[in-house]
Amino acid sequence: MDMIFPLVKTGAISDSTNLWLALPTGLLFGFALFKARFTDSRRIGWAFYFKDVGVPVVMFSAIVTAMLGLWGLSLVGVLDISKVYLLPTYLWPMVVAGLIFGVGMVVGGYCPGTALASMVTGKIDALVFVLGFFIGSLFFGDLFPVWGDFYNSDYRGVARLDQALEIDLGVAILGVVLIAVGGSLGMRWVQKKVWPEDGRASDEEIRTRLATLKLQGALIAVALLIGTVLAVFSTESFIDDRVEPPYYIVPKVAAQP
Amino acid sequence: MKTGSRWPPVPAGVAIGIAMIMAFVIAGRGIGASGSMTRFAAWVQHSLFPVATEQGTYFSRYFAEGAHPLFDYSIVLAIGLMMGSFAAALFSGGLSVEVLQGPRSRTPSRLVYSLIGGILVGFAARLARGCTSGQALVGGAELSLGAWSFMMSIFVGGWMAAWFVRKQWI
Repeated sequence: MDMIFPLVKTGAISDSTNLWLALPTGLLFGFALFKARFTDSRRIGWAFYFKDVGVPVVMFSAIVTAMLGLWGLSLVGVLDISKVYLLPTYLWPMVVAGLIFGVGMVVGGYCPGTALASMVTGKIDALVFVLGFFIGSLFFGDLFPVWGDFYNSDYRGVARLDQALEIDLGVAILGVVLIAVGGSLGMRWVQKKVWPEDGRASDEEIRTRLATLKLQGALIAVALLIGTVLAVFSTESFIDDRVEPPYYIVPKVAAQP
Repeated sequence: MKTGSRWPPVPAGVAIGIAMIMAFVIAGRGIGASGSMTRFAAWVQHSLFPVATEQGTYFSRYFAEGAHPLFDYSIVLAIGLMMGSFAAALFSGGLSVEVLQGPRSRTPSRLVYSLIGGILVGFAARLARGCTSGQALVGGAELSLGAWSFMMSIFVGGWMAAWFVRKQWI
């Protein structure tokens, strides 16, 4: 099979078509954010008190889906992974940024995408959050010389979990599926312990929950199946770790002067 | 608030994951939200202070070789995102002008917290080279070491601060 994906990188579509196709991609993204109730700042805030662990469960599900799609399509030979821009790692800056980001999320109740999605449904707190975001990122950019050195420090290239743990890529993928499923069930258990539901559920509620359980169970079963297939197949067939990915921002080893 | 028209977490996450796969197979890159917002902010600043913005160490790349900061994949994606969320809210009766807040929170303090949170997230998203979608979700799917560290840090940072702002939410 010829590798036709990513379409714009293999020349199957033009740059301007690619730009236009960002619109349906964004449409689905925004539609799903609303349907996930990510446009409600309270739901995002409650995640940090285990009052509603839906946020991490949605995030896990999105990561697992995209991960299986990305690596699965590479395995079957339709996606050229060497033409996908893989995010580089700047470890310490990203750890520090995550801490600040987490504080901002629990204080503000949004992250950038959810704030945009919520703002257009008329939520004033989301609009204010977006204005704050503009101020914060302009502050970062305008005073960049102050933290520019830190921003570019601890560069690790395109570093993957499987390389850091020295395990097979496929095994790492299956591991992420298992952690996502186990983590979601564990967090749901904590939620029920810390915030017990008062009163008995009605028969209709029980029926809805049962249907939800079946649907989610089926999706998890599919993810476990694909994850197992990826763990069994040799991943060397589609990713060559002897060469550095070509889409580096900075070469991992600086040229000798 | 009605929740009947919303999706359970796993199928909702799968839908977001499919949007991410679309970006991977069409554009060879991930989705993201924060990049478009920073570009928009830089564009507004540029209309006020064109020279200083173009010569700034960080924002100059948005204007390099006569480029327009808003002519970018991330901007089209963000427009789609807003249209998608608006459409979903329209069909499910979610459109309403209001301030979302916890039962004990007062509106003025909620809005001040919202602004402070936005400033912190705006700064941190630039330091991390992406936000929850562009860095955590996309990098998470790519098994990026930095993205997974970023994501764990978000929850650690959030949990550390949660006690101090609990009156806002619970």
